[in-house]
Amino acid sequence: MDAYLISVMTFIGIWIIMAMSLNLLVGYAGQVSIGHAAFFGIGGYTVAVATVKMGLPFPIDLVLAAVVSGILGGFLGLPALRVRHDFLVLATIGINFIVVAVFQYTPALGGAYGIVGIPPIAIAGVELLGLGMLLLVAAIAVALFVLKALLLKTWFGVRLIAIREDEDAAAAIGINVASTKIWAFVLACGGAGIAGALYARQLGSVFPENFGFVESVTVLTMVVLGGAGTLIGPVIGAIILGGLPEYLRFLHEWRYVIYGLLLTVLVIFERDGLMGPESRLRALLTRLLRRAAAEP
Amino acid sequence: MSDALLALSGLSRRFGGLRALEDVDLEAREGEILGLIGPNGAGKSTLFNCLSGHVAVSAGRIRFAGRDVTRLAAARRARLGMARTFQLGKAFQSMTVRENVAAGLGITAYGSFWRSLAGRASGGVRDRETDAILERFDLRSQAGARVRELPMGVQRRVEAARAFATGPRLLLLDEPAAGLTHGEAEAFAEMVRGVRDAGVTVIVIEHNMTFAMRLAERMYVLVDGRIIAEGPPEAVRADPAVVDAYLG
Amino acid sequence: MAETITNIVVTGCLYTLIAMGLTMVYGMLRVLHIVHAGVFAVGAAVGLVVFQTLPVGFWPALFAAMLASGALGVAIYHIGYRWVLDAPRGTPLLVSIGLFITLQSLLEKPFLLGAYASAFDAPVGLPRVQLGALAFTPAQLAIVLSTVAASGVVWLVLNRTRLGLSWRALSEDMNMARSLGVATQRAVALNMFLGSAMAGMAGVLVAVYENAVSAHMGEVVAYKAFVVVVLGGLGSVLGAAVAAFVLAAFEIGISTYLGGLFPRDAIGFAVLIVILLFMPTGLLGRRFD
Repeated sequence: MDAYLISVMTFIGIWIIMAMSLNLLVGYAGQVSIGHAAFFGIGGYTVAVATVKMGLPFPIDLVLAAVVSGILGGFLGLPALRVRHDFLVLATIGINFIVVAVFQYTPALGGAYGIVGIPPIAIAGVELLGLGMLLLVAAIAVALFVLKALLLKTWFGVRLIAIREDEDAAAAIGINVASTKIWAFVLACGGAGIAGALYARQLGSVFPENFGFVESVTVLTMVVLGGAGTLIGPVIGAIILGGLPEYLRFLHEWRYVIYGLLLTVLVIFERDGLMGPESRLRALLTRLLRRAAAEP
Repeated sequence: MSDALLALSGLSRRFGGLRALEDVDLEAREGEILGLIGPNGAGKSTLFNCLSGHVAVSAGRIRFAGRDVTRLAAARRARLGMARTFQLGKAFQSMTVRENVAAGLGITAYGSFWRSLAGRASGGVRDRETDAILERFDLRSQAGARVRELPMGVQRRVEAARAFATGPRLLLLDEPAAGLTHGEAEAFAEMVRGVRDAGVTVIVIEHNMTFAMRLAERMYVLVDGRIIAEGPPEAVRADPAVVDAYLG
Repeated sequence: MAETITNIVVTGCLYTLIAMGLTMVYGMLRVLHIVHAGVFAVGAAVGLVVFQTLPVGFWPALFAAMLASGALGVAIYHIGYRWVLDAPRGTPLLVSIGLFITLQSLLEKPFLLGAYASAFDAPVGLPRVQLGALAFTPAQLAIVLSTVAASGVVWLVLNRTRLGLSWRALSEDMNMARSLGVATQRAVALNMFLGSAMAGMAGVLVAVYENAVSAHMGEVVAYKAFVVVVLGGLGSVLGAAVAAFVLAAFEIGISTYLGGLFPRDAIGFAVLIVILLFMPTGLLGRRFD
């Protein structure tokens, strides 16, 4: 397979992990965040420091990235307890900027020059490049998808949806709203950290400007376009938006104009997302699956 | 006084200059259906909000099941056995009827993150318990429907079923008969009596006097944030102060 | 010190212009109107084109830019927002993002602004002014005067006209106002027009002040305007003005006296977050006035 295609697919896999993690926060817990790329960056930088400066092997760096992002995400959950809706959106944007500023101005993190020379993942002495890395990313994405599905079936899943629907009612059935929110942030940001860790390994370097407002907006778009609050939505959103600039390559300089228009039109036509509960795409796919299942 | 299931003493709630509740003393005894009536704006819902912990009190004490719960968070009080419905109806819109009721069953798991992870919200025993509750509230036939597509009257029943699913000792119903036809209100009253027979103490706020009088065994009348009368329905109905408040 | 104060005044005025338009739109439609920054950039571009191709001075070019921006705002409402007013929160935001990406990509095209910045060297025809220790260049004076004039107009419309009254009714409860017979479509269109015209005005003024117009000049503005709008209380026009100056003071004050310790943008957000923690609904709360 074409090396370029493998690389694109690997990045799409990383976006899928990012989008799935943000969906937990936005689609299930109902906390809108346009700052998720900050935790993507925290995961990436953790791996950069762990491998380049401390020589730690895989999977320790990955676990470290998830834990650091998760814990810092928990701290983000604290202001989220006091601040709601649009104010929360703004606060998350702010946190994104502050985190990027920290990356840019901390000499130990390479400052504006970032950190380069991150080695590829090595398992049992074998380096994972190209197809090997793609397979690992795919495996992690599938594992996280399954874990998320299982999580949502537990009582914790009920807590998430309950606080999204109505916080007063949630409290009235014994749900600790604050604790639920903070855990949602911990899990979502930990997931972003995993995506960031894989990204750092794939790219071999991390730079502050890769984890800013534009990336946060892109991830949120993937979630909403695909269908927030559904399991498959963020996956579809990531595949479409992650790949769109590539699919539209033939349009050359008109790529982004079409991208913007397409996004606008798609969102207007399917306001709950392409895989939303009543979307045409979901109905179509359900019909096709049923027909396929009915065939002898 | 102290062996009542619920006891309020000197309860007051002020919003800025507005006195929503002033020096309220109230008691709910185990196994009774208690009515709380009063004209619009009397402070009935505020009283419920203070009871359930959704609004802080300005002064006074609340004792529930032998504990002082005045400063306790709403979720803690719920886990101690206090369940409620809301005046505007707060069933979870995007969930199905079954999922709403099942959500109430999770109350024993909600106390900690790890315990929340350990249990599943559906399947096996869980489904049987849910079925029993759906049956009690006549929701079996609509179990799979999404709440946002159901009429308000059904939504309120779903909310009540969810509250019952938490296995409470005390159930607070805020205007459960609002918007119901006479037949529906009667059916609901039967469900409430059934809930009481199952061992749950009930307090009902009602604006609809007839419904309240028929259902409650004892009543309090709240006017302008104060209790002006208390007693069995016939006595309250005849009380001149009460007649005055409703007509004057 | 005097220069710092002039800087704060001028920056505060610019932030006020941009934020005022944004908060008007937000107050009515409750949409996180990110494409406002795109309208800002388009305004600058139109101002430049008119100034360069027609034999008119700065002020007519500014006026033309305001008209064009206003019209663009109305178009954005009809193309995008109208269809998604009652959709879940994320959807209108995404519509705005999609339109912003489209606008910026179009502006980048060689037949419009191209990939690089263009100069916008326009004499504004005003004198230098000295107020005590404070000195204002012609461009700075233009900014201050325009802001005062625009704010005055907005205040008048909001508080002394029926249009303003209908805006306030619509922002309280759109469905209620509609059923009471408020001419919704017209009021919303005019609201978008005026708010967007102010964005265009700000665009031209910034372009002339910095002598640069570029396709991406809106990006910096996009989030900063939101900081001001949120600080001031979403939908409060007076709040936006107050917050604009508070933010300008903090930003310039901190970067002047603490050196390049932290980028200006991050300072703005740090201020926002600290204020939000103490006042979760902004400086003046949620009102439309």
